[in-house]
Amino acid sequence: MSRNASAGNAERAAARRRLYYWSTPALSAVFGVVFLLAFLAGGHPLTGWLALGFMLVLAAGSALLGRFSETVKGLMDRGDERIVAIDQRAITGAAMALVLVLIGGAIVELARGHSGAPFTWLAAVFGLTYLATLTVLRLRG
Amino acid sequence: MELVVVGNSVRALRTGRGLSQAQLAGAMGVSRQTINSIEVGRYTPSLALAVALARYFGSAVEEVFDVQER
Repeated sequence: MSRNASAGNAERAAARRRLYYWSTPALSAVFGVVFLLAFLAGGHPLTGWLALGFMLVLAAGSALLGRFSETVKGLMDRGDERIVAIDQRAITGAAMALVLVLIGGAIVELARGHSGAPFTWLAAVFGLTYLATLTVLRLRG
Repeated sequence: MELVVVGNSVRALRTGRGLSQAQLAGAMGVSRQTINSIEVGRYTPSLALAVALARYFGSAVEEVFDVQER
């Protein structure tokens, strides 16, 4: 690979990392606005402004913390393969906990003579999403 | 055939060139923690990072990483 091509790849990778890095605080701010609108629509303006404030603090905090913590930076810019792998394992662990809650909740609801909702359809969404993702990733090799 | 990485000479190569973990991490585009984890054998890098490390030190991958059959 030529030096120019290598430098171009490095620049593209750096630009991608910057985009990923700033997407976390940007999404936090966007969700803050969405929460505000939802609370305003629901007739709870004070809670809405508090939610927006919390999300803006979260956005600023994550952007700032990423400057000091390699782990936070790696989680945000997705540039460190080891931290990305740790993140994926953590997501798997959290998903397993969620599955247990969904199954447990469905069993309790069924035992009470109810339909099992919303646990059953949440479990269905989880299962179908997993199967679809598995299929797509499998087909892509 | 299952191969496992049983050790590596990243630390020796790095210190031999007078580099800090942070400097090597910067050159590889990973965190200092990742370089440390590789050096102590807690983390086995991807093929891409292993090749990048080997190229950086002007060595073959198998000269940097000690790979054995399980």
